[in-house]
Amino acid sequence: MSPKAVLGLAGALIVVLIVSSSVYIIPETHRGVLLRFGELIQTDIEAGLHFKVPVIDQVREFDVRVLTNDLPARQYLTIEKKPLDVDSYIAWRIQDVDQFYRATGGDELRAISLLQSRVDTGLRNEFGVRTMHEVVSGQRDELMEQLVARIDETVVNELGVKVLDIRVKAIELPQSVSENVYRRMRTEREKLAQEFRSRGRELAEGIRADADRQRTVVLAEAFATAEETRGEGDGQAARIYADAYSADEEFYRFYRSLTAYGQTFSNKGDILVIDSDSDFMRYFGDLQGQARN
Amino acid sequence: MAWNEPGGNRNDNDPWGNGGRRGNDQGPPDLDEALRKGLDKLNQMLGGKKKGGGGTGGSGGGQSSGGFGAVLAIIGILFLGYVIYQSFYTVDEQERAVVLRFGKYHTTENPGLRFKVPIIDSVTKVRVTNVRNAESQGQMLTQDENLVSVDLQVQYRVGNARDYVINVRDSNQALAFATDSALRHEVGSSKLDQVLTEGRAALAINVEQRLQNFLEQYGTGLQIVQVNVESTQPPSEVQEAFREVQRAKEDEQRLVEEAETYRNKIVPEARGRAQRMLEEANAYKEEVIEKARGETARFVELLNVYRDAPQVTRDRMYLDTMQNVFSSTSKVLVNTESSNNMMYLPLDRLMQQRDTTTTGTNATDTSGSGTDVQALTDQVMDEIRLRSNSSVRRGR
Repeated sequence: MSPKAVLGLAGALIVVLIVSSSVYIIPETHRGVLLRFGELIQTDIEAGLHFKVPVIDQVREFDVRVLTNDLPARQYLTIEKKPLDVDSYIAWRIQDVDQFYRATGGDELRAISLLQSRVDTGLRNEFGVRTMHEVVSGQRDELMEQLVARIDETVVNELGVKVLDIRVKAIELPQSVSENVYRRMRTEREKLAQEFRSRGRELAEGIRADADRQRTVVLAEAFATAEETRGEGDGQAARIYADAYSADEEFYRFYRSLTAYGQTFSNKGDILVIDSDSDFMRYFGDLQGQARN
Repeated sequence: MAWNEPGGNRNDNDPWGNGGRRGNDQGPPDLDEALRKGLDKLNQMLGGKKKGGGGTGGSGGGQSSGGFGAVLAIIGILFLGYVIYQSFYTVDEQERAVVLRFGKYHTTENPGLRFKVPIIDSVTKVRVTNVRNAESQGQMLTQDENLVSVDLQVQYRVGNARDYVINVRDSNQALAFATDSALRHEVGSSKLDQVLTEGRAALAINVEQRLQNFLEQYGTGLQIVQVNVESTQPPSEVQEAFREVQRAKEDEQRLVEEAETYRNKIVPEARGRAQRMLEEANAYKEEVIEKARGETARFVELLNVYRDAPQVTRDRMYLDTMQNVFSSTSKVLVNTESSNNMMYLPLDRLMQQRDTTTTGTNATDTSGSGTDVQALTDQVMDEIRLRSNSSVRRGR
């Protein structure tokens, strides 16, 4: 009974072993290849539960998730021979596990280093036909798209790798060039500062001039209006006088003369030298005033 | 490397091997103990049976077979307990669980107590509601080939747990790289002044769009919540020059304000003076008109009387006036027709006479000699004028 049980147990164990070694699971993130005596007999095995012949068959799994790898910063020359320090990264994944296994032996690091040198060459070429301005602002997208297209074409077939994207992280000027840029920026700012100050003076001068003009105009207008008003006053007064005095011009003359005399000689200090023959003295010796004429 | 839990613990690095272990960590701690107690009881029961059956069956064999059965049973129960224990797991409110069955994607579970098939299913929990942070900063080139320092913060979360687990090996690194690229791309497409001032909001929006595109292209399952441009500054090497511009702006403002102060001072003053001129003119106008009305009214009154009795009124007026004139003035009467051409006027005496009349008001004035000379000159002038008048008259 007991040896039987042991035997049964051992048998069960062997069965479990065989089953477990003939069943394998490929997770969703991976793809597998099946090798029989080193020969690739099944490729691109999808996720799920699969069977194989124990011992004879071997399974290799490859992570087919997207990978992003930083590429080392390199210096590239633009078409105008300006050096730029370029830091980039690459997003890629294993597309054709079969080819990938053959090309790299399933070694991601090797794949990266192969990709890296291709990207390096590609970037050098793309930078070499563009100006710095195009690289920095205008054509980043085009540059990258062309580069990706060119590299992807070859590496899919050669490495079994799909390049999703190559992106420039940083395009920087070398330190020596940066100094020049700083100097230029400073000069630009100085220019701007000068412009602000001068414009301030210009505006201020304009405002002052305008103020002076306003003052002059206001005063001149006031003067004009004032003179006009005075003139009106004089005119009206004259009309009043004329209206009144024209009623009897002779009497007015007489009356006005008398008023004038009275006002002229109102001070004891005044001295009056009179020709007794004058009209003024007309009545002096003749009450009727007729004697003279 | 922590691909299902960014910046998180390393325990979860490989869910395929250790997917079940997580449940162990989170299971009730007294379960093992409870199991052990149950096993102890079982042991006692089996031991009792062995004692009872010892008399009937063989001596050693029976005992050993009983022991073996007990061990098997213990293993079985242990195994069963473990299986049950492994079959349940909890998903937190902030998590989603991605379930792979035989390695294939099966489902994504929502929060709560969940069941899984042991060994066959593997569960990866992802925190989806947590907002995570990534930063990108540094000096970069602008479109006009200036340099600017930008500090950017990206807030993001896992939008799609399945993609996050399955598509990309290190989504967070992908995001970091993509952020750097998107930021520099957008800054490279903007002018320095825009980046420094009003273009910052637009920069954040553009970076967000570009970044989201990248993330979708790579299938990271990440979603941008917000992109904040925290600071944009000119490089420290040129900051002084930028501050100088700021100061220049202030100077401009100040100069303009000074000028405006000047304007605000002189223009109202001028208006005030203008007002005064106008008022004075009006006053003059009123004055001359009123004076004219007054004088003419007086004249008209007199004229009315005069018309009633012309001669008498005339004589009266004349005599009144003459009286006033002669009573208040020094008089010299000359009959020119009888006098010879040389007429002597005793001016020194006249002067003295005049002095006596003015001493009443000007006696103590020591500096009066100047005005006296002036007055004397006036008198002489008057004399001459009168004489010339009289000579004209004489000719008549």
